[in-house]
Amino acid sequence: MVVLATSLSGRLRIALAQVSTRIGDVKANKVKHIEYIEKARSEEADLVVFPELSLTGYLLKDVAYEVPRACGEALEEIKRACRDIHVVIGVVREVRPGIIQNAAAIIGDGEIKCIVPKFYLPTYGLFEEARYFMPGDPLRDLKIFEDKFGVLICEDLWHPEPAEALVRLGAEVLICIASSPLRGLNNPVEGKPWIDHAWTSILNATALTHAVHVVFVNRAGPEDEEFFWGGSRVVGPNGVELARCKTMEEDFKICEIDLSENARTRRFSSFRIHLREFHRALSRL
Amino acid sequence: MDDVKLATRVSLPIKELEIDVVKVTSYLCERLRRYVFEYAGRRGGVIGLSGGIDSSTAAYLAARALKPENLFCYILPTSATPQHDIQLAQTVIEELRIPEDNYELINIDDIVRIFAERLMVENPLIVGNIAARVRMIILYAQAAKHNCLVIGTSDKSELTIGYFTKYGDAGVDVMPLADLYKTQIRQLARYLGVPEAIIVKPPSPALWPGQTAEAELGMPYDLLDSILYLRFDAWLSEEEVASRLGIDTEVVEKVVRMVKQTQHKRQLPEIFRLSTRSHGSDWRYPREWR
Repeated sequence: MVVLATSLSGRLRIALAQVSTRIGDVKANKVKHIEYIEKARSEEADLVVFPELSLTGYLLKDVAYEVPRACGEALEEIKRACRDIHVVIGVVREVRPGIIQNAAAIIGDGEIKCIVPKFYLPTYGLFEEARYFMPGDPLRDLKIFEDKFGVLICEDLWHPEPAEALVRLGAEVLICIASSPLRGLNNPVEGKPWIDHAWTSILNATALTHAVHVVFVNRAGPEDEEFFWGGSRVVGPNGVELARCKTMEEDFKICEIDLSENARTRRFSSFRIHLREFHRALSRL
Repeated sequence: MDDVKLATRVSLPIKELEIDVVKVTSYLCERLRRYVFEYAGRRGGVIGLSGGIDSSTAAYLAARALKPENLFCYILPTSATPQHDIQLAQTVIEELRIPEDNYELINIDDIVRIFAERLMVENPLIVGNIAARVRMIILYAQAAKHNCLVIGTSDKSELTIGYFTKYGDAGVDVMPLADLYKTQIRQLARYLGVPEAIIVKPPSPALWPGQTAEAELGMPYDLLDSILYLRFDAWLSEEEVASRLGIDTEVVEKVVRMVKQTQHKRQLPEIFRLSTRSHGSDWRYPREWR
């Protein structure tokens, strides 16, 4: 059958699970995940999104090597709680003995649909991800799920290519899971910590550039000297915020989005034009 | 812990804990010399002597590295300190030929008592920690007086399980022995000529009468060190360590718990980040920053 019209319509209920996580305690974190999944299900959410490394905690340091097995065991249990809901969870995955990745597991219909790794590993300032994790390979690891969702992990959204690639693969909803520590509370921009201001700019710009919905779920709560500031949200394809979680504390929020907004927004954008030659030019730089 | 299996199938300490004492000595002496004379630009070092193996070995090493005339030794007992320990500490001073102006015995009972009475504390652990911190204050004052660094005497076993007083015995400028487990320090001590009576004496912080380290820890050091080495140096899982040593996993878990619960003692105080660059994880200048 020749397809003359796409069927992207309807409403989706997305749960933002802005959890606080106990560092290295996968068992305790798993229990919290299942509680939040149950809560999302009871509120008829279609998709529930947890932050980056939500099962393990972020500043793992040398504990990073010791959590992949526990993550695998936890996912087995979480799978059983996901028969009629989709879930995005942050995990550490061991891709071959001793080689680990910061990754997102996408679970639905009681099974792991796919696992996508982080591409850009921040290793500056307080970050040291490249010391521990192997980056994803764009030629092998770029994938979307359920034909319309693309998952990015934190720093991946601070570079234009991963989002662009996922959107060109067909993503209509970009899901960015993050463990963004608070920075710049001493020097607020428009009344907000610098990091909130920065993320707001990036999230809104990404939504506008591609005329897609952007879902951002950040951690909340402390870990060593850092504090994850939360501020999870959904931004519509016109760059306008549709929902936002609290800052500095755990929160849970459901946001209903209307996917047909993507098509309407694109009538007023140049999203249709994609000059591949730019990528050829970039590959030569 | 009474019922769990401590007896091992293998002889302890495990062979991986054997060190090349000649190379280790020459390396540590060179590092200590450079640190005190070149990096810090000080005349020498100050050490608190307890008559135990760690401080005695540290003194033998420092005397070799810095020369006895640049080493200042202080015996700082309380009434809880066994007389035998004081004698052993004096033996170290004699054997090392520390010049007369470079050592002193200062009984700290009076000072500790003032704190304890004024603060109305009797708990031996709290009073013991006061004593350890009083010693730290005295050593720093002496170091300032003699243009020296305070040389710490901690070993890797005690540091790793947090068996020390924060800002007490761990309040020092440099810890030359802190990457050597207790069983390795015994090897080094024999090579350096530390009196055998000191080497074989049961280790004790002597914070209160009759205290011994191995009774408090619930296991001998050769087992503790083997567990620590296999779990954290060789990076085996708790189950693998237990299996290699032929002991119950519970014993390994107990040791790992001590390590986890005392992590804060091995770090600088927590700083709650506000800015884009705080004096913690993203303040990464070298120690020898010029």
